[in-house]
Amino acid sequence: MELVFEEFYRSIPKAGEEVCGDSVEIIKKRNKTIVVLSDGLGSGIKANILSTLTAKIASGLLEKELPLKEILSTILATLPVCEVRGIAYATLVFLIIDQNQQLRLIEIDSPSAFLFRNKQVQKLDYREFELEGKKIREANFKFQRQDQLFLVSDGVTHAGIGGLLNFGLGWEGVACEIERVVKRSQTDLKNNINKLVKVFNTFYGDQAGDDFTIIGMKYRRKRKLNIWSGPPLKKENDSLLARKISEAEGKKIISGGTTAQIAARELNRDLEVGLKYYDRDIPPISKMDGIELLTEGLLTLNRVLSMLKKYKPGQIPVEGKDGASRFTRLLLESDSVKFLVGRAVNESHQSLNLPINLGIRSQIISQIAEQLRRIKKKVEIEWF
Amino acid sequence: MSKNILKICIGTPCHLMGAANLLESVEKFDCKLRQKIELKTSHCIDNCCDQAPVAEFNGKVYQNLNPEKLYKIIRENIK
Repeated sequence: MELVFEEFYRSIPKAGEEVCGDSVEIIKKRNKTIVVLSDGLGSGIKANILSTLTAKIASGLLEKELPLKEILSTILATLPVCEVRGIAYATLVFLIIDQNQQLRLIEIDSPSAFLFRNKQVQKLDYREFELEGKKIREANFKFQRQDQLFLVSDGVTHAGIGGLLNFGLGWEGVACEIERVVKRSQTDLKNNINKLVKVFNTFYGDQAGDDFTIIGMKYRRKRKLNIWSGPPLKKENDSLLARKISEAEGKKIISGGTTAQIAARELNRDLEVGLKYYDRDIPPISKMDGIELLTEGLLTLNRVLSMLKKYKPGQIPVEGKDGASRFTRLLLESDSVKFLVGRAVNESHQSLNLPINLGIRSQIISQIAEQLRRIKKKVEIEWF
Repeated sequence: MSKNILKICIGTPCHLMGAANLLESVEKFDCKLRQKIELKTSHCIDNCCDQAPVAEFNGKVYQNLNPEKLYKIIRENIK
């Protein structure tokens, strides 16, 4: 069974601020994943710039695979120190997990991580040492199949100050909340993160007193997605494509009205066309047995492309019930994506005088594939 | 009472030419009229996309529609 490491995060800015003072960088390499979390001192744009700076430097150096000691001393020496308070402007946590599930976690000035194992949250075994006058915690352990790991910024452990509690939740309190939420459904990490954000926000009375970020990580099975878009050039390939999509392993999407009609005809299944517009720019989705999602073609694909362009790895995929949002979510939830693309030209579209970049299916799909590769998904395209 | 069937095409060309407005206008018909109509959507009716938006009412195809035209057609042809 093939496993992949998945991670999701959400950052919430302090109430009244536009940007969050916490930064997360996630780098996916072929054989390892690097996650960096940095929390800038204070809040607002200054904190945002400082934490971004710190996270970028750290992830850049980690990506180049320099020895850890060197990376740490570079970061610590470059981190600006506040003149007034005499402390570093930003905190830093980073972790590297490799193919053998060996996880290495380094924390500087930030709350300890939460490991969910055997239905309870535990503290990791840390080794402490000093470098450049900084106390540094390091943990090395094997990340197991059922484990889940949560990293938070101090805005989370302080949740409740000035809201529901006098002194904030503290590590124990946060551990308790994580345990409660994760125990209920251990599979849906994305949903759990959303729930936890709601919980901590409630402790603040919906007016976050500090920026806060929570990152969750776990292993899961590889997910496959198959997409058929466009009628094939040769009509005799209709049945071949329909068979291919219905027999494919994993989830399935059909994009395009004509394509859906071909599939319904060839597979002899009912096609139920939707009525409801969730978004006025995206035509409704349809339904067919055995296919997860049927959408309109060009407009939906274009929207999918623009959503993918905005996506940063680790973010929680877009909400929304319209075809394009659902499409994007399915893409982001899968690890390998296979496109079956028919290249027949839809005569009717020619009469519309669409702008060239909107009108050419193969181009849009190539661009979608490029975006998916950027976030390290395996993409395969077959042309017909 | 037999239902009148209205099918509105929501293929890409029809959508771009305002199929959503047609759908919306049908929902705004007065109650009595709306009750007599069974509203459906469809991908491509009759391959006449250059005459979009297209709808089919009781088996007959109408092209180049707008909400006013559609209302008139329905008024005239309703059973």
